[in-house]
Amino acid sequence: MSAFHFEGLVWHWPIAIYLFLAGLSAGAVFFAIMLKHVKLAGEAYHSPFVQAAAIIAPLAVFGGLGILVIDLTKPLDFWKILVFYNITSVMSMGVLVLMAYQVALFAWIACIFNKGILQLLGDKWMWLQRGLRWLVAKEAAITGILVILSISLGAYTGFLLSALIGFPLLNNPVLPLLFLISGLSSGAAATLLGGVLLRGNPNGVEVRFIHGIEIPLILVEMGLLFTFFVGLILSGGQSQVAALNAIGYGFWGWVFWGGVIGIGLTLPLAFNLWMKVSADRKFTYVAVTASFSLIGVFLLRNFILYTGQMTIA
Amino acid sequence: MLHSKRQFLKGCGALLAGASVYGITQSPLAEHSDTSSEADIKYAMVHDENACIGCNACVEACREVNQVPEGVTRVKIERRGPFGEYPNQSYRFSRVSCQHCEAAPCVRVCPTGAAYIDKDTGIVAVHEERCVGCQYCIAACPYQVRFINPETRTADKCDFCQQTQLKQGLQPACVLACPTKALTFGNLKDADSALVHLLKSKPTYRAKVDLGTRPKLFHIQTIDGEIML
Repeated sequence: MSAFHFEGLVWHWPIAIYLFLAGLSAGAVFFAIMLKHVKLAGEAYHSPFVQAAAIIAPLAVFGGLGILVIDLTKPLDFWKILVFYNITSVMSMGVLVLMAYQVALFAWIACIFNKGILQLLGDKWMWLQRGLRWLVAKEAAITGILVILSISLGAYTGFLLSALIGFPLLNNPVLPLLFLISGLSSGAAATLLGGVLLRGNPNGVEVRFIHGIEIPLILVEMGLLFTFFVGLILSGGQSQVAALNAIGYGFWGWVFWGGVIGIGLTLPLAFNLWMKVSADRKFTYVAVTASFSLIGVFLLRNFILYTGQMTIA
Repeated sequence: MLHSKRQFLKGCGALLAGASVYGITQSPLAEHSDTSSEADIKYAMVHDENACIGCNACVEACREVNQVPEGVTRVKIERRGPFGEYPNQSYRFSRVSCQHCEAAPCVRVCPTGAAYIDKDTGIVAVHEERCVGCQYCIAACPYQVRFINPETRTADKCDFCQQTQLKQGLQPACVLACPTKALTFGNLKDADSALVHLLKSKPTYRAKVDLGTRPKLFHIQTIDGEIML
């Protein structure tokens, strides 16, 4: 059986990239909000890490949606998904979440960078300035909504696949949690990588804060992966077959053990623990750790999508 | 400020949780069989695997009548075997096509409502204009009978010839084409129909009922002496 072409395969790698980017966007926003709320407060707009998140989050969600639309067999008809809704469809509800998420995202970015935007506007476009001040007054509510929407978006990427009852590996209650947690950690990694590339201090308060959350996040992700596969194996029948087909051997077995577990989780965990005890963090440390996390989450999305469709109920 | 924000977050969370639970309970899979629904037609089909000889006449008739392009098909006859020792060898044939589930997973996942159950006949069908080609239904169908029609670029599958034969008052093309009369099509709600008589006289099975799909394609299992575990 070829790794990328086999009977019964419906969704290919563009869907994996979409799931990766949507989760990454949600994670980056989540960590930017946490950074502002817990550490930076009014100084958030200075921080290259918050700036990186504010650039990455919209680009990732647009990129993901773009790939999704191109992947339709009738891309020009995509607007029908925005017009017609089906309350029992995870995809349809996800579209609602995505739309609300993008509105809240831009409102939040406008709030964070309001000083800069107001400076840029000078005394032009008073209506826009009034609108911006109104948004800033509502920042607490916007932030709250955006936190909920980003978590919903991260979990939605998992629910989208777990609704497929014909594939025992995907139709798994742990999947949405796994995708939410790994999405959050990919967002953290993207924020760190973008931040240091924007000349943020690799030994700064932001990096220390995010790394502090990343260690428990990686441990939780390992626990979820363990529960995911042990749960499938203990279920017996086709669930067991599906789990062993996925991680037991072959190309995807290597991707799982080497890529997801090795590069994506073990090495970043080791680096994070090392950085925690060593005196200071350097650019290379932060960038390499973040890149490994990103690669790991990207491989996880592809691994789950492909191996999930290999075994049917 | 902090206090009101917390309350607001709680409210939002509760609303979201409530809305999603409502959405899930609305799903057709949670409903139970409702034999007293208003429509008096509910189409179903029986495939007698003892009568089937695997000639594929049904496949070709379907292709012609419904203008199904080469490379895809609405119905397949799956062949397994041979079983037994020569000269007492036999094959087993089973029909693979849309099961017209009462609780159809494809209908549940379709984001635009393009996949739907025709209330008057119980047929699972596709609104071609509504379909955007996301292929969620193809992935959701546990029977793997949906495909993208390369000409219309929309999801396609067996619709019991809803648009062709049934409109002219005829039986589906596969049923008429079958040389051994292995296929029986009819109305489950008509107690005098050949379909209901057959279902009441022979034991049948349906595929993957444990998934809660309640399919309406019945199979009469081959009896050929071979015992399989």
